[in-house]
Amino acid sequence: MNPIARTLWNPIVAKEYRSRMRTWRSPLTITIHVIVLGGIGWAVFSAIANSVAGFGSSGGGVSPSSMGILLFTFLILFQIVLLAFITPALTSGAISGERERQTIDLLFVTPLAPFSIIWGKLLASMSFVVLLLVLSVPIFSLVFLFGGIELDQVVAAFALTAVTAMTLGFVGVAFSTFFKRTLAATVASYGAAFVILVGSPGFGLLFPTEYDARSAVVPAPPALALISPVVPLLVIASGQPVSTYGTRASVDSQLQLSKGAGNGACVGLPNGGVSCSSNGGFSGYSSGTGTASPGTTLHTGFLAGLQYWQASIVMQLMICVVALALSALLLPPIRRFGWRRNRAAAAQPA
Amino acid sequence: MIAVEGLTKAYGSRLALDHVSFEVPEREIFGFVGPNGAGKTTTLRILAALLEPTGGRAFIDGADVTREREKVHTRIGYMPDFFGVYDQLSVGEYLDFYAACYRQPKQRRQKIVDDLLALVGMTERKGQLVDTLSRGLKQRVCLARALVHDPAVLLLDEPASGLDPRARVEMREILKELQRMGKTIVISSHILPELTELCTMVGIIDHGRMRATGSVRDVIARLTSGRRLRITVIAEKDAAIEILEPLPAVKHVQAVNGTIEAEYEGDEVTASEILATLTGAGIRVSSFTPIDGGLEDAFLRATSEEVG
Repeated sequence: MNPIARTLWNPIVAKEYRSRMRTWRSPLTITIHVIVLGGIGWAVFSAIANSVAGFGSSGGGVSPSSMGILLFTFLILFQIVLLAFITPALTSGAISGERERQTIDLLFVTPLAPFSIIWGKLLASMSFVVLLLVLSVPIFSLVFLFGGIELDQVVAAFALTAVTAMTLGFVGVAFSTFFKRTLAATVASYGAAFVILVGSPGFGLLFPTEYDARSAVVPAPPALALISPVVPLLVIASGQPVSTYGTRASVDSQLQLSKGAGNGACVGLPNGGVSCSSNGGFSGYSSGTGTASPGTTLHTGFLAGLQYWQASIVMQLMICVVALALSALLLPPIRRFGWRRNRAAAAQPA
Repeated sequence: MIAVEGLTKAYGSRLALDHVSFEVPEREIFGFVGPNGAGKTTTLRILAALLEPTGGRAFIDGADVTREREKVHTRIGYMPDFFGVYDQLSVGEYLDFYAACYRQPKQRRQKIVDDLLALVGMTERKGQLVDTLSRGLKQRVCLARALVHDPAVLLLDEPASGLDPRARVEMREILKELQRMGKTIVISSHILPELTELCTMVGIIDHGRMRATGSVRDVIARLTSGRRLRITVIAEKDAAIEILEPLPAVKHVQAVNGTIEAEYEGDEVTASEILATLTGAGIRVSSFTPIDGGLEDAFLRATSEEVG
């Protein structure tokens, strides 16, 4: 076996698979995941069916395709929530658990490189997450009964979900390497999951991208707001942006637009924003401010040209790389940082 | 095989090791003796390249433990003072996992595991979950684990702690067998009589400083033999003590269980002069024997006084 293959597929992976699948926790986790996800699907389906009259008829009721989109949206978001609970639990004890079991030194005296140890732990945990995703496919296939969702949307959503789980896993292992105790690592991992999933969209609300209301194109939300998979998943499901999320027309440009439009009107809002209306020929679901509907693609920055979900994947992969590098640096019992070597050399007896 | 030169380890302002030096030739069993917190585990962890020394150097079979960690790891089998076992793995799987970590070829691993289980007398336990084993059996599995890559040097930290007398004897026999197989063994322990029987060399460490090191016989001789006498006299015990106490070479005299124990400074000539003084004074001496205190006595002396 060549060194790269030996690093990527090392004994820790096989050992972790064996240990993990022999405990009652794994089948229980799988069962709960499938039951909860299936239950959510059934509940959403029932709620919609009960709340609308004439389901399936051509007039008045919710169309099957809309129902498919709604069902898919709920399922994919709940799946993310479930994985946000499961993944940190899988990974936050990966290294700290070895310390607590006092087995970490036994690994350090083997020829396994720190990266191999980290990678083995990650691969085993991520394989379990992939198993959960695969097991959820039959539930998601129900969406196709209603239509409204294409296969490429499902693939994109699953890819983003898998990468999100991977990010949470990598961050969990990094905290597990940093903290000596599993409890601290677990708390930090869940905190990080919250920041990634909720804090990131919150950033988009607090610090939206300002744009010129006279511009023909509304910009995308700030890139940081797209680290979270929530907005990109909503965009994937609906096929359009989430209203005006993460963007705001500048006050000056709105006022000037209103003057220029002549027959438009702008009203100052208590929160500092401006609400304008126009009788012009622009159409757009978002604001009615006279600008074109925002797209689902980033226009500026190094992620320009990528769709929201693709940008989210790229940014999360960057987080993964940083977390992996930090884990591999922090793990060895003797860290070869320059400043440490200098200090040790200074302490050498004369 | 093992060379330690001026090893120093500081935790903040506290010195855990203070210029510790010793050597262990090939195929020797080196007993590392010291009270709790003396620095035994710190020394072994540095030798296992798990801890960086603040100063000094250490070599395992020529490999520098601070610069050639990979080489060191292939040459040592390390058994820490805790079990370090995984749940949900059988004894065979546990050993196979570590054999794989040490990159033993898959086709050879089964034989390695079987041979090691035979060596530690656990062949019939191969399918049992490691976590369900008794303490003594776990110790044996851990010893087998340290041997999966056939290292030349074994670093064993308190391998006999917590074992019952039978398990201790069995562990001792296994270690002797390993010595016969050509292994160099460093073993830290509190159980001194065991070490006297097992070890060929000994090092006594206290408060991070090596108090004495060398062959067991030399260390015991240096620290105890020739300095204490057990004297049995007929009837005139009190008179004998009165004669001994004023002698300049005699430091301390006491009656112990019907005999007299005298501590003195000097050599065999001094001892013969003490005997001559007693007999010259008319004391009837029935026995006059130097006390060989053994490793325990040497340990107590080494850890209760500064050795120059």
